[in-house]
Amino acid sequence: MSASNEDNMSSHSQLSTLFFNDLLDSIIVDVASECHRIARLGLDRNLDDEEEELRLSAQARARVADPSNSGEATSKYVVDIFGQTHPPVANEIFECMNCGRAIMAGRFAPHLEKCMGKGRKARKTTRSSTAAQNRYSRGSPVSTHSPYANSTSMNRLSNGSPSVAGDEYSNGTLEEP
Amino acid sequence: MSSKADHIHSHDSLLPSGEVESEHQPIDSISKRTQIVSIPPQPCSHLFQFKSKNGTKPFRALQDCLRIKPLGRASIRRDPQEIIRCNTCGHAPSRLYACVACAAVSCQLHAPSHEVDFPGSGHDIAVDVDRAQLFCCVCLDQIYDKDFDAAVVLAQTAASTIGSIRAPPPENLRKRRRVDYRPWTPDLQERDLIGEKSTKLPSSESDSGLDSPWGLRGLNNLGNTCFMNSILQALLHTPPLRNYFLSDRHNRYFCQQKSNGRRNSGNTNTKNLRLCLACDMDATFSAVFSGERTPYSPARFLYSWWQHAANLASYEQQDAHEFFISMLDGIHEKVEKDKRKPQSQGSGDCCIAHRVFSGILRSDVMCTACGFTSTTYDPCVDISLDLEPNQGGSAKMSSTKSHHSFNGEADQSCGISTLMGCLDRFTRPERLGVDQKFFCQQCQVRQESLKQMSIRKLPLVSCFHIKRFEHSPVRNMSRKVDRYLQFPFSLDMAPYLSSSILRSRFGNRIFSFDGDQSETSNEMSSEFELFAVITHTGKLDAGHYVTYLRLRNQWYKCDDAWITRVNENTVRAAQGYMMFYVQKMLYYKASEKLVAS
Repeated sequence: MSASNEDNMSSHSQLSTLFFNDLLDSIIVDVASECHRIARLGLDRNLDDEEEELRLSAQARARVADPSNSGEATSKYVVDIFGQTHPPVANEIFECMNCGRAIMAGRFAPHLEKCMGKGRKARKTTRSSTAAQNRYSRGSPVSTHSPYANSTSMNRLSNGSPSVAGDEYSNGTLEEP
Repeated sequence: MSSKADHIHSHDSLLPSGEVESEHQPIDSISKRTQIVSIPPQPCSHLFQFKSKNGTKPFRALQDCLRIKPLGRASIRRDPQEIIRCNTCGHAPSRLYACVACAAVSCQLHAPSHEVDFPGSGHDIAVDVDRAQLFCCVCLDQIYDKDFDAAVVLAQTAASTIGSIRAPPPENLRKRRRVDYRPWTPDLQERDLIGEKSTKLPSSESDSGLDSPWGLRGLNNLGNTCFMNSILQALLHTPPLRNYFLSDRHNRYFCQQKSNGRRNSGNTNTKNLRLCLACDMDATFSAVFSGERTPYSPARFLYSWWQHAANLASYEQQDAHEFFISMLDGIHEKVEKDKRKPQSQGSGDCCIAHRVFSGILRSDVMCTACGFTSTTYDPCVDISLDLEPNQGGSAKMSSTKSHHSFNGEADQSCGISTLMGCLDRFTRPERLGVDQKFFCQQCQVRQESLKQMSIRKLPLVSCFHIKRFEHSPVRNMSRKVDRYLQFPFSLDMAPYLSSSILRSRFGNRIFSFDGDQSETSNEMSSEFELFAVITHTGKLDAGHYVTYLRLRNQWYKCDDAWITRVNENTVRAAQGYMMFYVQKMLYYKASEKLVAS
């Protein structure tokens, strides 16, 4: 390349560096001016409290993960705070308010499903299902959602079997007593 | 310069009380809360003198020169096309100041010397032409003035709305009336009635040293019903809801009597008892707060709820959040049918469910071409939040965070998702896609827009629902997101209020924004305390719900029939699915004494 081209290029790159620095300065002053205003007017967030919560959370996770600590969250229950124990399937007996039969608590839901004629076996539309449909279609009461996703039916987590940690719960068809 | 040092000290005293502060104000006295600025910081002596001499006239003259870009950036130009340079050196660096008195332009290097040329005659106050910020050339610092800021905000709002200065406030936004405390003791007649018609609940003192608060009782799982049990436990200890039912505000006997009286047939067959979820709640409260220790079976509740929500009535795995919404809807519906109460949910006048949980969200859609803003208000009973897509860090900084650690937010350098981070995302301005152009009333064409959410009115109880469900339409698969989310025990919602969001959109000017009422300026009303956490463990279609309750600052785990005491660390480390916060002024930390309160 000729010498004059090199000179042009270096003055071009000098110019572009100049412009870039100007733009950068301008942006920096923008941010500085905003932060200055926020600080002066007392609008800054209480970062100390927020950081304290984060610290406590990190500390808690470390303690819980430590194998030497008793796993409160996952250990099997011995007794509850009242000194009681409970079987894996609730064995209180009461009367079904639909048919009058005596049902065991832990098997009440599957019984009621058949008893009321609901569920997979027999779905009918009743007056209250119209209300539920209205709720879905007009989105009320509104459960808020992030800008675009209408997640009424999409974002569901199903619960499962009741479990005392570590016990298996058989999820097959349950016979009525 | 010694004079500069003196003036910097006077700037330290930043209190909304407007008092004249002495120098060297200790840092502690500066409130750290996010404040509604009702009175600006004390002006420096130069600004003070300038204003006493000239009033607001010079600022009003500046108003004519305010040029507002769409989306709000303000600058000062006498003539829109003029090119501005420093009078002294001819350059145009990043900061150029125009003297308010004579409009002479100087760069930051030469601004102080302009004042020296005209000492004491008000040439010390200048304005940054590209940012519409006031500057004192003697103090060499940015300064703030209420009247100047008001002029800027008015210019900004005029540019972005047709005609009206502000968006009309939402309908049915009634300021919550603070009710005075009235002490009450029973009179003799009432005392007799109490003695005659009631049985004394067992005192917790008689327990063998056990410190069990009222209202702790296991709930039997009736067959895959832990989704219902977990929500019920949270609601049973939601302070305003608990107080409502325990104060007999919905008496199930009266309620049933009323409906029986209306019906012609006098049919008292239990099957046909009028469906009222509030009555069933009342029964559940009575049972759980009775002092009975053996687990309670909410069978009646399940039966009623299945009648209300027939499409969800099955012995199948259900979602707790869906149940929550359905239940509130059920309580609302029954009340609507009975009484001629106003049906608007926003004011919370319709039913107890909405009075407790309902807030108002504000949604702004801004045209990126002209700045025109369209505002709508919607009631909501909870806020559903996305977990951030990247591994930790708020999305705002995600593109730049890869190899840097910023000093700003601690959560970014740790890479942890936080509840506040999710709320930041929820309220940030979001650019709607090119295929979602919004029709702008001012431009009269479809334009690319920004959308921003904010909270116009906070509910008494804020329920946050974390969307841990990820659905991939491509693969037609769903999965659960187990990622940890940090959530605080104390939460300040002020940064997410409409007033704060609007204020920040207008450059944090000193001005009263939508929602800046005496109600929200009370520091306490935006502070919340956590009282219940619902967690989900396991897989998407085979998992288990558990509720952690905070009573008298002690945490309890409610796992169906099992109530156990846990350490707060267990709760902090848990995988939150729904978190319940109550306004601090309603939250009783109470004493940790063993005596029954």
